[in-house]
Amino acid sequence: MDVALFVTCLTDTFYPRVGRATTLLLRHFGCRVHFPPEQTCCGQPAFNSGFHREAACLLRRMADVFRRYEHVVTPSASCATLVRRHGPELLEGTPAAAAARSLAANTREILTFLRDELHVDISGLLRLDEPVTFHYPCHARDAYTLDDLLGWLVGSGGRDVRVPRHPDLCCGFGGVFAVEYPELSAALLHDKLDELVATGAELVVCNEAACTLQMAGGARRRGLKLRFKHLAECLAESLGLLEPQA
Amino acid sequence: MSRHSLRARLARAVADDRVLQAVHLATWRKVEARAASFAQLPHAEELRRRAAQIRRHTLENLPRYLEQFAARVQAAGGQVHVACGAAAACRIICDLAVRRGLKLAVKSKSMTTEEVHLNAALEAAGLRVVETDLGEFIVQIDHDRPSHIITPIIHKDRRQVGTALARALGCRYTEDPAELTRLVRQHLRDVFRRCDLGITGANFGIAETGTLCLVTNEGNGRMTVTRPRVHVALLGIEKIIPRLIDLPVFLKLLARSSTGQPMGSYTTLVTGPRRPGEHDGPDELHVVLLDNGRSRILSGPAPEVLHCVRCGACLNACPVYRNIGGHAYESVYPGPIGSVLSPLLYGPQYEELPRLSSLCGACASACPVQIDLPALLVRLRARSRERQPLGKRLLLSGWAWLMRHPRLYALSQKLLRELLPDDGAGWARQVVGPLANWTSQRDLPRPAPGSFRELWKQELSDET
Amino acid sequence: MKRDARVKGDETNLSQFSAALARNRAAQGEMTPLPAREVSALRAVPPDADLVARFTQAARAAGCHVHCSGESECVAAITALLQAAGARRALVEPQPGTALPPERAAALIDALTTAGVAACQSYDDETLFAADASVTGVRLAVAETGTLVCVSGPASARAASLVPPLHVAIVSGSQIVPDLFDAFEHLGQAGSGTAAASCISFITGPSKTADIEGVLITGVHGPGQVHIVIVPN
Repeated sequence: MDVALFVTCLTDTFYPRVGRATTLLLRHFGCRVHFPPEQTCCGQPAFNSGFHREAACLLRRMADVFRRYEHVVTPSASCATLVRRHGPELLEGTPAAAAARSLAANTREILTFLRDELHVDISGLLRLDEPVTFHYPCHARDAYTLDDLLGWLVGSGGRDVRVPRHPDLCCGFGGVFAVEYPELSAALLHDKLDELVATGAELVVCNEAACTLQMAGGARRRGLKLRFKHLAECLAESLGLLEPQA
Repeated sequence: MSRHSLRARLARAVADDRVLQAVHLATWRKVEARAASFAQLPHAEELRRRAAQIRRHTLENLPRYLEQFAARVQAAGGQVHVACGAAAACRIICDLAVRRGLKLAVKSKSMTTEEVHLNAALEAAGLRVVETDLGEFIVQIDHDRPSHIITPIIHKDRRQVGTALARALGCRYTEDPAELTRLVRQHLRDVFRRCDLGITGANFGIAETGTLCLVTNEGNGRMTVTRPRVHVALLGIEKIIPRLIDLPVFLKLLARSSTGQPMGSYTTLVTGPRRPGEHDGPDELHVVLLDNGRSRILSGPAPEVLHCVRCGACLNACPVYRNIGGHAYESVYPGPIGSVLSPLLYGPQYEELPRLSSLCGACASACPVQIDLPALLVRLRARSRERQPLGKRLLLSGWAWLMRHPRLYALSQKLLRELLPDDGAGWARQVVGPLANWTSQRDLPRPAPGSFRELWKQELSDET
Repeated sequence: MKRDARVKGDETNLSQFSAALARNRAAQGEMTPLPAREVSALRAVPPDADLVARFTQAARAAGCHVHCSGESECVAAITALLQAAGARRALVEPQPGTALPPERAAALIDALTTAGVAACQSYDDETLFAADASVTGVRLAVAETGTLVCVSGPASARAASLVPPLHVAIVSGSQIVPDLFDAFEHLGQAGSGTAAASCISFITGPSKTADIEGVLITGVHGPGQVHIVIVPN
């Protein structure tokens, strides 16, 4: 199966290891992975801020960059949601409408792609050697549920998974919100970090680069011993595809 | 609006530890109570869908249902007035109160009456107006403003309530909630005995039967529709539902969403004034239908906001509300629903409110009638795009431009890596320029030594 | 193309207002159907449930005291209950067609008088506000939520279950319907509900508030204690 990787701007810039893990996993389960180098950003920050002209432009461009691929896989559920849910409505009535619908149909988030298209038993293959907690990202809702994520982590037992009091509590990133209302964003962040710290675990599974940027940055500012990993990284490590990293 | 900008109010709110602690406690309690309550409700999702459908259908056919409602109210002996705006509503109600020589008005909690500033108008017309919901009563005697649409004094602690009561009633200071409640009950009982005008809102108006539905917990709503000889109900036009059998759909969702109870203590259905042979109830019932911008909202970008049943669940769920409290919004309607409703009802002075959100969607998940609040917030942001701050517009236009040029984008990744200061461990603590707002609150990791696209070119693309 | 639906001017005439609204709504064109009346699939409590047990559980969860009593014992039970609560004056409201018909009410008044509790039946303010308790029947009770449904009428005042600080409601088992939907089906029948009565009160537990620091306090403006006595049939 040929798969195009949509790595996303934040993962590309700050967390390339997540891109590597995604690539290695796809290859491990039999896919040929392509990386169209013209890709940049899906336009989510512009869309959420109401800058729909700019968002439409970037979406149109993205549909063009990925037009040759029947499967487009991304490590970011929020970007997948933007493309799938908002892309078609943004470009409805324009010449790019069909391309947007096509892109929406073809784009999938990595974990659900592994589970549903490649029939990977994520929870069966996952090895976790230390207590772990997790963040359920707000925009993962369209891709997988909190129960899905918990199921992948907990599996059939034997793993020390600490559930925060409110796993879906927003980290406070919110796109441009994080820099437009920094004190407010930080107030939300503090509530979130308090809950993670309260679990006693140091490793936090977080599948969203934006949330990781926010939480890791906040944890460091507060001197907290929290580390963040995408579940794709954990899985790749479990399969021996990636050298374990602290 | 106060003379303090929204930013100043936000800064003050985020720093007010006492209020924030109270709001955190109260909202989390409600969130958890709501979740537990919904877990016990069979067919909850189907009920939410059905409620949303009823609302949508009704708004699409509003003129017909308004006519039907008015006809049934009149058939039951009530009188119907239509107020296009706040001023008209106040004029209608003051006129009828003055013409009948009414002197003492008791009010059951109604956001709609706050929206039109009815109390001030009635007082100017010479009536004494007494709020009877405990929280609203405290707000009134303390010259404060409510900060939540269901629990008005969520921001106050018992000491503040005790102080306000002692000052207003001249009673001995106490801060015991049971004793405070008893003092208020005693005081208001006397008012209920002497009042001649009762003013309520209504949670719903049933077109099929001309019935008003009031949901309360304290009993002041029942007192207000029982004791005085004239009852006035002010009702937003969006509150109409078609049939009696539609009401339980909403009732099963409302109290669970508000407080986690299966039902409020009192759900009161009022159809017309007292009937011949009945022993109590008002001689006259006046229903005032209020537009005040709702018909404009119907044909605007966010008509779904009119589905709202005023349960307050979105306020309780919202991490922003939890961290700034209700006063920072400076609107009768705060929180997520208020961030959409306030600019649509009142205009540009609330245009910034939709941006006070991380779009996390906790509100939409909590909403009993499935209003997609994040989508409405984005729509309002789009509508006010040209009036958003210049710096932000430049940033986003610049970003979008850069993202159309992949080679420049790749270059900018390298530049960021070079230019970001490093504290020695791969993090930037303080930067100037557009990212200063990031590092004012949290650290920023320096971009990894190789971006993914560099990694791909160097290593990954060779393997097939 | 959306037209401005704002209704201009100071029209206070409903048909003018509606016409203006309709002119603009006609431009929208979407049509959402009203859900069909049939709601039995959405019931929380099925008709074959043990309704007395469900009602008792829900009413207690809402803060009511619930007592089950045989037909012939209920007068004594209520008398004992009121004595134990220290009531000295009780408003008794006989209502044909409920579990407190005139005969039972008369028996209760006798028993109360004998026990030293002054029983009254009038609704003047002096009596109403001096009463420590009231005893009424109900039209219906709802098992799902532990709710009492009282309907105003010549034999049922709004204030009876509201003003005195302790309310005793006698409910017969046959008056308990499973679900809120059933209650509204009943009230929607011709002559049964809103068409005939100006005020229908759904009462679920005592009067309460949590406005002060979230502390739950009962007995704000309505009764702080609700006792429900269930008799069979």
